[in-house]
Amino acid sequence: MKMIARIKAIPNGQKYRYTLIMASCTLFFSPFLFLPGLVDNPDLCGKVCIRRFYLFFPGITPADVASKMQVASIGVYILSMILITTFFFGRMWCGYICPVGGFPELISRTFSDRWKIEYRALPQVPIRYGYFSVYIALMPMLGISACTLCNFITIPRIFDALSGNPKGLAFALSAVGLVNLALLFLLGFFATKGRAYCQLLCPIGAIDGLVNRLGAKLRFTRRIRVERNRCTGCNICARSCMTGSIQMVGRVAVVDQLSCMSCHECVDVCDWGAIDWRSAPLDKDPKRKKKGIDFYPQPQWQAVYTAALRKGKR
Amino acid sequence: MAGSLHRSVEEGEAVKAGYCLKRLQLIEIFLMTAIYVGFSQIVNSAERHPDPDGCFSCHALEGLDYIDKHGVLRSASIDKKHYYSSLHGSVPCKDCHRKIRNYPHAVENVEVNCAESCHVEEPSEGEPYSHKYVVKEYESSVHGEGWSKGLTGGNRLKEANQAADPSCRYCHSNELYIGEAELPKFKASFDHLDSECGSCHQGEVWLGQFGGHILRRFIGSRWDKNDHNRMCNKCHADHQRMAEVELENAETREKEKAGPRFILASDSYATTLHGRLLETEVMQGASCIDCHAPTGFRHGVLRDENSKASTHADNLAETCAQSGCHGYATHPLNHRFVKTDIHDIDMIPAVNDIAPRDPSRLESSWIKALIALLPIVVVLGIGSLLWHFRGNKKRGVTYAVFGGDAFQEKMIGRKPKAKIKKHTSQNSVVEKQAADNEAHEN
Repeated sequence: MKMIARIKAIPNGQKYRYTLIMASCTLFFSPFLFLPGLVDNPDLCGKVCIRRFYLFFPGITPADVASKMQVASIGVYILSMILITTFFFGRMWCGYICPVGGFPELISRTFSDRWKIEYRALPQVPIRYGYFSVYIALMPMLGISACTLCNFITIPRIFDALSGNPKGLAFALSAVGLVNLALLFLLGFFATKGRAYCQLLCPIGAIDGLVNRLGAKLRFTRRIRVERNRCTGCNICARSCMTGSIQMVGRVAVVDQLSCMSCHECVDVCDWGAIDWRSAPLDKDPKRKKKGIDFYPQPQWQAVYTAALRKGKR
Repeated sequence: MAGSLHRSVEEGEAVKAGYCLKRLQLIEIFLMTAIYVGFSQIVNSAERHPDPDGCFSCHALEGLDYIDKHGVLRSASIDKKHYYSSLHGSVPCKDCHRKIRNYPHAVENVEVNCAESCHVEEPSEGEPYSHKYVVKEYESSVHGEGWSKGLTGGNRLKEANQAADPSCRYCHSNELYIGEAELPKFKASFDHLDSECGSCHQGEVWLGQFGGHILRRFIGSRWDKNDHNRMCNKCHADHQRMAEVELENAETREKEKAGPRFILASDSYATTLHGRLLETEVMQGASCIDCHAPTGFRHGVLRDENSKASTHADNLAETCAQSGCHGYATHPLNHRFVKTDIHDIDMIPAVNDIAPRDPSRLESSWIKALIALLPIVVVLGIGSLLWHFRGNKKRGVTYAVFGGDAFQEKMIGRKPKAKIKKHTSQNSVVEKQAADNEAHEN
């Protein structure tokens, strides 16, 4: 009964999101492997990989890049679709579809936050882009295989193992597999909200975050935006944000668009309608005037905490 | 009388009927023979030489078995269809089995030397084609070491089950080299014979025998990378067989049993991107011989320690940079990239029955990382379990055990409860002390 009450307490929007993630786990992973099966691939590696073709090597030529893109042609297509969606609608892939990030999140959410590690207060942007540059340039140069620390290998293999595929079990019992499994526990299952890997290490998330931030400046793009006049500073959005993108600055919520996944949870928990996933109205002039008097100000939906805001201007 | 006449008429009819039956049988036999002859004509039309030495008069018989000097029952029957579809299907038997002069022949005379010049004359040089250059390259390779069996590999059973070094025949066997399933691949190659080769080389003999033979010689070039890997894996994926292999220690020069890295080489390759790409038919992945024998006749596989080996540390960059793979590998800043472990044993289960338990595997940095991470996972796991069953959950919002305070301070911008308590309790101590001091002073 307690369980049912807890499930009922989940905001509707989040229930749909969890269902989508569960559906994509079914579509992407063993035993069904529907989507990789469409291109005759047994996992999310090889031609489906979206993490390798942009690795940088000194002396790399355009021909080399073209050949890498040709090898991972489906991955290139998927990544471009992800980035285009992100530009217009925010990080839909990361928040709603990605089974590799979503699976640890769902597991982590099933038990209490007490015995977990809180990564959300870490300076995640410098860590993420620091690791991203190491991943993209230094690791390949040093001969460290990008695949050995990739959770796009680990999580599908776990599903393989659970569905009785000996290959999956063999990986889970290897030294690399065991370390990856431990990292999955520490950065996933035992992380508050289970998204620490996405926050700190995921290269796709890093690129996606940049595009998200780039589009946030524009008024027609859909992003998580704050109406600063309505925010009461209750901080419930910051506490429920799974990626730690909301920080209370001067008792007003501020969204970090490099980390925000537009998961909508903040919108679902805000009682004041002060935060929303939306575009900003294009007309800046207040329309609600009566006899020339602006009696109710037009809401200002801010996606980015600008320098002007920092100085106290609204 | 009438009865006897009647009977005789009946007998006559019976005899007549008997003749009819016999006639029918004759017709049936004739028809059967005609069908058989016709059918055999169709079958024979697939034959690519008329068997001038008459070998098939015995060897085409089924059950032509004998017991060899090892006491093993061997079959000397040749499946005509199989033979004609093989690489040498257009070559008469005695072209290779040259020692056979008389009939019946001795078993020993059967052996063939592949390095001898053979029947096909190369038009450009006018010399008979020979395998000797391939054999020379092969003999200097790691597979040719200590090879004393001769080109044909001697006893086929011994060769298949025990020997560490394969003979020519072991890889170039009919099953693998030209499996019947592979034949459609050639059919397309034969299509242009009339129009292209046929414009100079006219005549049925050339087209039927040599043309086909020359085309078939290029089957290797029509092999895809997976075919190559299948050939290598025929031995290298057999863990028990690989565990028997003895390798020379580079330092002590003594023969030692192969370690887990060698035994599991096929498995570790399969976990790399190279292996995984080929598994999903993406041909940009590198096959075994793409790295281990990229040049020459592709027979010269050498050990990494050998300075001539394509996989020797000094030659690796060139090998990786070949044929449009990793062109940047020769760049000096990428000198570590070429050392990326393609046979990473850490990707294989740490404990398994197929490889010896080698203590060196525990020295891996992955194992060290695991030792560091595992205690944290265990502590958090036990803590979660205890909290689930016995924890005090009635305190409102729960914060994480590690980093919870930092979150409250940095993200929410308030002092954590613990610190507030501490702060107030410290204050109260100070107040108490002040009150005591005051009391003393008074």
